[in-house]
Amino acid sequence: MDILLQLLLSGIALGMIYAVIAFGYQSTFATSGTLNFGQGDALMLGAMAGLSLSGSIMGGPYVNYWLMVPLVLLIGAFQGVVVEFIGVRPAIKTKSEFGWIMSTIALGIIFRNTAENLWGRDDLPFPSPLPTEPLHIFGANVLPMELLVVGGAILMMVLVELFNRRTIYGKAVVATASDRDAAGLMGINTGLVITFSYALSSMSAAFAGVLIAPITLTGASMGAVLGLKAFAVAIIGGLTSGMGVIVGGLLLGIAETTTGFYISTGYKDVPGLVLLLLVLAIKPSGLFGKKAIKKV
Amino acid sequence: MLQVKDLKAAYGQVQVLHGISLSVPKGQVVTLIGSNGAGKSTTMRALSGMLKPTAGTVMLGGQSITGLPAHRITRRGLAHSPEGRRVFPAQTVRDNLLLGAFTRLTIGSSRARGDIEGDMDRSLDLFPRLRERQHQLAGTLSGGEQQMLAMARALMLNPEVLLLDEPSMGLAPILVEEVFQIIGRLKAQGMTMLLVEQFAAAALAVADYGYVLENGHIAVHGPAEQLRNDPKVRDAYLGSAH
Repeated sequence: MDILLQLLLSGIALGMIYAVIAFGYQSTFATSGTLNFGQGDALMLGAMAGLSLSGSIMGGPYVNYWLMVPLVLLIGAFQGVVVEFIGVRPAIKTKSEFGWIMSTIALGIIFRNTAENLWGRDDLPFPSPLPTEPLHIFGANVLPMELLVVGGAILMMVLVELFNRRTIYGKAVVATASDRDAAGLMGINTGLVITFSYALSSMSAAFAGVLIAPITLTGASMGAVLGLKAFAVAIIGGLTSGMGVIVGGLLLGIAETTTGFYISTGYKDVPGLVLLLLVLAIKPSGLFGKKAIKKV
Repeated sequence: MLQVKDLKAAYGQVQVLHGISLSVPKGQVVTLIGSNGAGKSTTMRALSGMLKPTAGTVMLGGQSITGLPAHRITRRGLAHSPEGRRVFPAQTVRDNLLLGAFTRLTIGSSRARGDIEGDMDRSLDLFPRLRERQHQLAGTLSGGEQQMLAMARALMLNPEVLLLDEPSMGLAPILVEEVFQIIGRLKAQGMTMLLVEQFAAAALAVADYGYVLENGHIAVHGPAEQLRNDPKVRDAYLGSAH
């Protein structure tokens, strides 16, 4: 029983990371119908930038973990703007349906190669800002960092939701997502809203990067698998549903930790991917999604 | 206020407007009538920037707005209540109205802020049905209510010119009458309007001047009174249907 609880809690922490990255996929899909397939590399860049700022690899530490986070968010946002400007805007302008797919993948690979040259190919440890002694919760061992992951992920989503509901700029983002032409008639610069959604998307990936780095290892290739799994989460939950990515993330996270323990770590990715195949076969718009998948 | 000269527009290779010239003087209501497919909505879309014209000029208040993107035209004070209403269904009636005032609420836009709450109140007075439903999601409104919301939202810009595209489309006859009464009230307040309508008789009754559009050309134009009595216009547009 204690073991199950342990697995559930670890699964939740992992699942929330997937949810944060998947949230990034949603944010650009909503406004522009496009996705940043370099999302995993945005996560990696966030983690590596965070390590450079608050670790010792680049002659630091320059700032502590808590001051590093907002700086990494800014770097992430800037990276998102670059991706939108170079990879996506031309495709939207020429109404190319698939151009952005290859260009976002290409940019992701360029970022990864650059990271390999800057920071090397080895995985590096990321100093934990919280005690590494596990806490005992109902007999299960929980790392304080795992609690921070869950808390940080929830905080980010709540802040974005408040922004969308309470501020005129957030309302403009929601309006652009629901009807781009009509939003233009309101005087909203919808091109700028799309750029913003890319900034937000990469920012959330970078945030996921600095949240997860202290409990895993940091390296140029860390983003590839996370980005892909988060994409599965976005498909499972539905590309249009905020609730969907949280539920999808938790399902995949818990499926991985329990399979890893009860069956074999070698198979830990299988149940989540089987779930993905089932969802695609039975409800292709995702568990919570509306008919949106045709746009992909 | 709005001067259009030799406007041409196309969807891909298909030329829809073949050089339209029209003028909407300040404080007047001008109507554009014509059968389905004549290019009425295309004209509106080309004026508000939803569609980029291929030739011609559009002047608003003496300044050219030709070919500008929609959001920049809106900032110059041209409001467009588009065909098909296009309200934001997942947002409340109130949020839809606030979005209409987007350029007055944000920094860096050229519209003066003015009295947003007061304008919101006046809009809701003009459309009492919306007041009852102001906290409801726009997607839950009936077609008629959505049409009123689209008009109220356009008014929230505090526009120099208001484009109304088929405000009566798909509405029950009693609501059509209500919409035309509201247009009459806006006219009395001095609002400059360009009205596209299929109910040509009702449109010519409220308008000062009219243009008849046929296959992307202006076929006839003149004071509304004169068009109402023009035998050709009567036969084609004001016939037995009205």
